[in-house]
Amino acid sequence: MGDMANEIKLLSGNSHPVLAKLVADRLGIELAKTLSLNYSNQETSVTIGESVRDEDVFILQSTAPGDINDGLMELLIMIHACRTASARRVTVVTPNFPYARQDKKDKSRAPISAKLIANMLQTAGCNHVITMDLHASQIQGFFNVPVDNLYAEPSVLRWIRENRGTDDVVIVSPDAGGAKRATAIADRLDRAFALIHKERPRPNVVGRMVLVGDVVDKVAILVDDMADTCGTLAKAAQTVKDHGAREVIAIVTHGILSGNAINILNESCLSQIVVTNTVPLGDKVERCSKLRVIDVSPTLAEAIRRTHNGESVSFLFNHAPA
Amino acid sequence: MVRNIVILGGNSHPALTEHICNILGLPVSNRILSKFSVGETRCEIKDSVRGKDVFIIQSGGGSVNDHLMELCIMISACKIGSAKRVTAVLPLFPYSRQPDLPYNKAGAPLSKPPSEVPKDKYTFESVPATPAPGIQKTPGFSIDTDLSGAMSRTSLTNGNGHGLVNGTARLNGETSANGEASSAPARPGLTTMHTQSFTTHDLQNPALINTFQAKPGYKRWVAQAGTLVADLLTCAGADHVVALDLHDPQYQGFFDIPMDNLYGRPLLQRYIQQNIPDYREAVIVSPDAGGAKRATAIADSLGMDFALIHKERRPTRITDRQNATMMLVGNVAHRICILIDDLVDTANTITRAAKLLRKERATTVYALITHGVFSGDAIQRINISSIDKIVVTNSVPQVEHQRQCPKLDVLDVSPIFAEAIRRIHHGESISVLFQYD
Repeated sequence: MGDMANEIKLLSGNSHPVLAKLVADRLGIELAKTLSLNYSNQETSVTIGESVRDEDVFILQSTAPGDINDGLMELLIMIHACRTASARRVTVVTPNFPYARQDKKDKSRAPISAKLIANMLQTAGCNHVITMDLHASQIQGFFNVPVDNLYAEPSVLRWIRENRGTDDVVIVSPDAGGAKRATAIADRLDRAFALIHKERPRPNVVGRMVLVGDVVDKVAILVDDMADTCGTLAKAAQTVKDHGAREVIAIVTHGILSGNAINILNESCLSQIVVTNTVPLGDKVERCSKLRVIDVSPTLAEAIRRTHNGESVSFLFNHAPA
Repeated sequence: MVRNIVILGGNSHPALTEHICNILGLPVSNRILSKFSVGETRCEIKDSVRGKDVFIIQSGGGSVNDHLMELCIMISACKIGSAKRVTAVLPLFPYSRQPDLPYNKAGAPLSKPPSEVPKDKYTFESVPATPAPGIQKTPGFSIDTDLSGAMSRTSLTNGNGHGLVNGTARLNGETSANGEASSAPARPGLTTMHTQSFTTHDLQNPALINTFQAKPGYKRWVAQAGTLVADLLTCAGADHVVALDLHDPQYQGFFDIPMDNLYGRPLLQRYIQQNIPDYREAVIVSPDAGGAKRATAIADSLGMDFALIHKERRPTRITDRQNATMMLVGNVAHRICILIDDLVDTANTITRAAKLLRKERATTVYALITHGVFSGDAIQRINISSIDKIVVTNSVPQVEHQRQCPKLDVLDVSPIFAEAIRRIHHGESISVLFQYD
C-alpha cells in the first residue's frame, strides 16, 4: 500500500524544516527524503531520495531572513526536479511569499520582483501555490496558476480570545495599508478600531506618526501582516502609548524580525509581540521574552489535505483547525 | 562610437564591467543594487533605459544564487522600464557544471557511499499489480462495507473545526474521544509505511549527509539545474545571452533565445605562444576525457603534441571512485606539459593530474584554464601541488586569489566581451571572434 500512486509527498526546503515537520505530523505522513545543500562553489544541489512519479507533490519553503535568494533557488530547483521526475502536480507551500513587498513599480525602472518570482515559480513548473497573508492580495493576479491565499486571522482571533480576552481591547492598524486587515479583526471581535497614519521617506526608515481614534485606558492591539526591522512597530507602539493606551501588544503574521529587530522590540513599550511560525524564528524566542508564537501548521496542513482531496479550502478563511 | 546602448553591471564582478566599458568608451550606468535587511535583493536602475540596447554583465562566481537573482531582477527591471533589448552577459555561466553525485560542503566527493539496498527486502513489483490474466484484481470496496463512518470523518461538521480529524488525534492524544474511528486512518494513502525516513537539512553535519539514503529501490537522484537557469533568464525577459566557454556546448540548446558562446581559446593560445619557452616541444594534456576536444583543438592549431589523462572509472564499489586510478595516454617524459581545461573549481582533478604528470617525469606543468572559481580549499591545494604555473581568465574576480597564490597568472577577457557587445549592438557578425587561427 505504501507505493500506491498519487499520495501526498511533502518535501521541505532548508528554510523552515520545523514548520515542515509540524505540517507532516499533522498530516500523519513522513517528510519525503530530500537532501539539499550548497556545493563549495555555493551552487545549490538538491537530491531527491524517493520516487515522486505520479504523486501529488507539496514543497514547503518559507523565507529565512538573510538567505532569501538561496532559499528561492533551492525551491526552484526542487520544483523543477519534481517536475522532470514526472510528479503529477507540484504545489508550492510558501507561508511567507518572498519579495512580496516589491509588488509595484513605485519608482521609475524599479522592478516588480514579486511578479518576477511568480513567473519564475511557474517557469520552474509549479502548478499551484498555497501561501498565507500575502502583503497585497493582488499578487495572486501575477500567477496564471491557482493561488490559495490563506489567512492567519482565524488563528489570531482564537489567540486573542484565549490569551487576552476581548474586554477593553482596541485594534490598531499601524498604517493605512493595513486598515482592512485590522478592521476585519475589530469587526469579528466587535471592538473599536484606530489607525496610525505615517510618512515614510525611505524604505526601512520611519517618519512622523498620527493616531486616528481613541485608545485611552485600553489594551491596544497593533495588527499587521509582517514585522521586519520593527522600526515602524516600535514607533507605532510609542504613539499609541503616548495617546493613553494602558498596554500595547502587537500581533503580526510574518515575524521576519531581521536586522536589529529583537533589540528594538526589547526596548520598545510593547508588552507582547505575537507572531505566527510562517517564518523561522531561530533563537529569537529566547532572545526576546515578549515574543509569543501562534502555530499555523494546522491551517497549512488542512489546506494541503483539502487541496489533495479536491475539497474546498474556503472553510479555512474563517476557521482555524484546532 | 556606440550610441543608444546601456551597460549595467551586477555586484559579482564590477572590475570586469569597468574594463569592458573603458574599452567601449562608455560610462557604466548607474544603478542601486543592494539588499534589504531581510535579505531580499533591492534594485533600481537610475539611468533611463527606454528604447535602449541594454547589456547586463554578471558573472556566476561567489554567492551564485544572490548573483543570479540580482541578474534576473535587473533584467526584469529593464524590461519593465521599456528597454528595447536586454542582453545578459555571463562570463561564467552559473550552474553550467553540476556533478551527478552529491558532494559535501568542502566540495570533495562523499567518502561514504549510499548503503546497499537490501535486495531481498525489495521487489520491483508494482502495487496494485498491473492487470493481466492470472493476476489477482485489486480488491475494491465490498458492498457490505460501512463507509459512513469513514466518510463522516473527512466531511465538515458545523464549522467549529471539530470535524477536522486529520492527525489531530496524534497531536493532542485524544484518541478516546473518537474511539476506534480515528485510530484507523481515514485514507490509507495518508499514512506511509516506512518508519526510518528523514529529511536532512543540516549542512554542517556531514554525518547526516553521509547517512542520507534513498528509499529502497530508488536511485538517489541529484537535480540538474541547467535547463532551469536557462528558463529563468528567459522568463525574466532576457532577449539574448552571451557566455564564455560553456562547459557543455549542448547548453546552448537549453535556450529558446539566441545565445552566443564565446571562446577563451585565443587568449590561452596567445599565452602559450608568448610565455612558454619552446612551446612547440611542449605537450598539451587534457585532464579528463570530456575536455579532450577542447585540448586537441589547441594542440592542432599550434601544431603541438597531445596527451590525455584517463580516469579509470570501473570501481567495484562507489567508495573506490575517489581513488579511481588515473592513466596517462601519451608521452610526457622530459617535456613541458600544459594542462587545458574549462573550469577549475575545487582543483581536485587538476592537482591530481599534475601529480601524475610529474610522476611521468614531466619537467614543468602549466595549467591553462578559462574559469578559475577556486572554491573551498582550492588555492591551498594548488599552492602545494606540482603545478608550476596556473593561468586563468578574469571571468570571475581573481584579485583575492592572486594575493593568495603566487603561481596564478590572470588573462583579461574584457576585450573579447567588449568586442562581442559592440558587434551584437551593431548587428555585425560575431563569428569573426570564433576564427582566430
